[in-house]
Amino acid sequence: MGLYVQLLVDGLFLGGLYTLAAIGISLSYGVIRIINFAHGEFVMLGSYAAFWLATLYKLDPLTSLPLVVLGGGVAGYLLFRWVIRHVLEAPHLNQILLTFGISLVLQNLAVVLWTGDLRSATSVVSYAAAELGPVLLTFSRLIAFVVAVLLVVALLGWLKWSELGRATRAVAQNQQAALLMGIPIRFIYALSFGISAALGAAAGGLLSFLIPLSPWMGFPLVVKAFAIVALGGLGSVMGAIAGAMLLGLSETAVSYVLPGGSGWAEGVSFVFLLGILLLRPRGIYGQALEEQHR
Amino acid sequence: MKRSAGCTATALALAAMVTWPALGQAQEPIRIGAPFELTGRFAAYGTAGKRGVEMAVDAYGKRVLGRPIEVKYVDVQSNAQVTVSAMTELLEQERVDYVIGPITSGVVSWATPPWRQRKPVWLVPGSSSTRNETELGKEKYFFHPYPWDYDYHASLTAMLKHYIGTGKKLAIVYSDGAYGRAHLPHAKEAFAGAGYRIVLEELVREGAADYSPALLKVRQARPDLLLGLVQTADAILLTKQAKSANVGVPYLVGTVYAALNEWQKATGAAGDGWLSVTSYMPNLKRPGNPKYPKLFPSSDDWEKAFRARYNREPEFLDPLNYVAAVMLFMAIDRAGSIEKDKVVAELEKMDEPTFYGRAKYTKSKGGTLHQAFSAMIVMQRQNGKSVVIYPPEVAKGKLITAGP
Amino acid sequence: MMPKARVKAAAWAALAVAVLAAPALGSPVLNDWNVRICSLMMVALSWNLTLNAGLISLGHSAFWGLGSYAALLAANRLGAPLPLSLLIAALAGSLAGMGLAALTGNLRGIFFAISTLAFSEILRVVGLMTPDLTGGAEGLYLTPGLRPAPAVVTFAVALGAVAAVVVCAGLALTRFNLACRAMRNNEDVSKMFGINPLVCRVQCLAVAGGMASLAGGLNLWHGGFLDPLVAFDLHVTVLSQIAPLLGGIHTLVGPVVGSVLTVFLSEGTRIGLGASGYSQLVLGVLLVVCVLAMPSGVVGLWRRVLARRARP
Repeated sequence: MGLYVQLLVDGLFLGGLYTLAAIGISLSYGVIRIINFAHGEFVMLGSYAAFWLATLYKLDPLTSLPLVVLGGGVAGYLLFRWVIRHVLEAPHLNQILLTFGISLVLQNLAVVLWTGDLRSATSVVSYAAAELGPVLLTFSRLIAFVVAVLLVVALLGWLKWSELGRATRAVAQNQQAALLMGIPIRFIYALSFGISAALGAAAGGLLSFLIPLSPWMGFPLVVKAFAIVALGGLGSVMGAIAGAMLLGLSETAVSYVLPGGSGWAEGVSFVFLLGILLLRPRGIYGQALEEQHR
Repeated sequence: MKRSAGCTATALALAAMVTWPALGQAQEPIRIGAPFELTGRFAAYGTAGKRGVEMAVDAYGKRVLGRPIEVKYVDVQSNAQVTVSAMTELLEQERVDYVIGPITSGVVSWATPPWRQRKPVWLVPGSSSTRNETELGKEKYFFHPYPWDYDYHASLTAMLKHYIGTGKKLAIVYSDGAYGRAHLPHAKEAFAGAGYRIVLEELVREGAADYSPALLKVRQARPDLLLGLVQTADAILLTKQAKSANVGVPYLVGTVYAALNEWQKATGAAGDGWLSVTSYMPNLKRPGNPKYPKLFPSSDDWEKAFRARYNREPEFLDPLNYVAAVMLFMAIDRAGSIEKDKVVAELEKMDEPTFYGRAKYTKSKGGTLHQAFSAMIVMQRQNGKSVVIYPPEVAKGKLITAGP
Repeated sequence: MMPKARVKAAAWAALAVAVLAAPALGSPVLNDWNVRICSLMMVALSWNLTLNAGLISLGHSAFWGLGSYAALLAANRLGAPLPLSLLIAALAGSLAGMGLAALTGNLRGIFFAISTLAFSEILRVVGLMTPDLTGGAEGLYLTPGLRPAPAVVTFAVALGAVAAVVVCAGLALTRFNLACRAMRNNEDVSKMFGINPLVCRVQCLAVAGGMASLAGGLNLWHGGFLDPLVAFDLHVTVLSQIAPLLGGIHTLVGPVVGSVLTVFLSEGTRIGLGASGYSQLVLGVLLVVCVLAMPSGVVGLWRRVLARRARP
């Protein structure tokens, strides 16, 4: 019994981190229809920002999180205005090439600036834990989970109730109609991209004290995030949450229950993803729009 | 008229081309290929290798046999295809007869088939995986100045037997990566052979974000020792999570990572108690070689020079690549020629004390013809410091248990 | 019109002869580039072929890796010589392609793409977790005695690339191509023309999967070593898209030119910037510049230049 509660708790915590890493992709795909291979690098840069703020200015990664999020947002907004904007009219697939190029640039910029050495920050909550009966609660993962939930709730609230949030949803649903309604599409695009980057940076800020950092940490994360976003149904924030939780739980469950499970876990979760797509060809929240690729 | 002038010019040019090499003989550089992982996943290792070789070239006065040393550094980008391209370029276009690098086991495996095409003298200052020993050890031109994975476990078990005796319970956590897979059989053999009971063998995924499941099983198994057979990145996660999960294992045994400055900085207080084998770490206060004070100074002096040049702490790969390269230059000098076989003979004969250990190539346990620096020391992280605890003649402290 | 077509055909033929004859020069470095360009060309053409049918694949590393392992195991375990091992590799890729197409018959657009990505990741994990078969993460060497001279391997890769171009050119003349284009524009509408999208998908992925797996198998004979991280490296997938995008998608010449350009850029930056550690950074910048400056690839740029010239 204790094992299953532990499994649930660990799976949920992992799912929270996955949610935060994936939700930015869901937003930028939902609104701008862009497949952003560089999203993992926003996570990486967020991690490094938190790490350097901790190392140079003794700021706890949890304290510096607002700064990291803000920085990520501004950087994302500017990147969109300066670079990404230019390929929106080009054949849709060029985004793959462009964002991959950006990802390569950011990765290697990180290597040049900070070397390939592994890093990791420490937070006040890093090594605190509580044992509730047979279940172990590590505070670092618990707090990361809580922060992730708060950020996701804030995003959902913003989308639902604020003026700009509503405009964003309108653009996601129907660009043409939104344009006719006088919604400044270009601004909404840049804003969504900025928020998407900010969420990635937030994930990075939390990961900075949980996992080792390197300039290459982004790519495997982005692969998983794509899977999560597709699992949930593209462009649906709720779907991304469901997908992330499913993946976090299934990976943890396989690791706990099967012998050698940790090695198979990732494979099993991809089998799981494939299975769900075959049953629900448009993801769990399958109301996503028909693809518009040329 | 014009035509004859053209002919004369051509003839002159041809003559110049024919005589040029003869004229330039004395100054023709000695070329050494240095394929390193300078970018990509393994960049931290390759850049350390390059630093060591750079220092060696400068310490040697940039010349051997009166000819300039020209090291051709190429970046293998931690990528299999690029490694093949880079090795081909060095061997076939640059026609180098001496190669130093790469460092990591996987990249060395990629580089092996192209190396076989021409078999230059090959120094591999790194790669502990015995997979490469099986493939390369018996090769006449292959030199391995770094321990193989069984050397790690021989040192670790000797130290443990010395302090805590045998019969204790051991849990092993190993990764599904090349590192874990290569180490596991040797670790099992050494620890079981030394009388330890293996109560858990748990596989973890390389690059995973959560090791809680494995650590829960460790907690339940209640072992006396935890052995982590993982690469540095995974070791950081394992160490931090072991601390926060409060695994309650008295002795935390690592392979080589706990001796790395990189790991120490990343894990901070969580690293306390972890054990590590290494062939070198800063502040060992080893003496230099009085015959070659410039090439093999005391460890303190070498470290000072290194810090002044690179503004960072040296890891074991920096001095290792330095010493390996200096040994090669000395062998070329002593051979008085750059002929491969003569240089190999000199490398085989060489026996010099250095701050890195005794520079002598011998036969390894696993059959490598040219093996050096297999001896390892064991250190433990105690209150944020690295303390050498084995072998007794160099020990500065004793083994203590981790945590409360 | 006729002479122009003839010029084109002659140019293609000359290119083929050059690529096939190059190994005879015996330059190992040239051979290495030849292998990298030609094997990339094959996966790029394969990816472009699936794209022509409206299918975006994010799983070409699956075919590449599958082909590599098929060739490796055929050679090491059965002692298969180069041609037989390659045949087995291509067949394995074709079968996997057909299976994947049949399985994912009702997945569209990005959902199909993600399912191919999942396919590749599953294979990678299986490779890592079955060390008795694949050697696990430690990898396996191709038995050294089996390897023919590098020039022979290079010639085989060149032959593979020429064959891939011929197959793609041949398919472009058939009804199959029209069916694919109809599917690309609208799968539902294509049904009205009597096209069975499932059959079309299966055919398309059979050819594309075989082609990419053949490239993987050829690359194994060139490299001589394999582990699951190398075999199922997602960068193969990325490169198989970058090459056609740089050259110009939906064309035959695009992936060909794009492959040359991709290898040229990556080797150029690697050799040019050497040990500085900046090579991949500059490569990234060049990719960004290329996509901004040539939104329709080299082919698009060329057409624009021609159009401007044609104007008085």
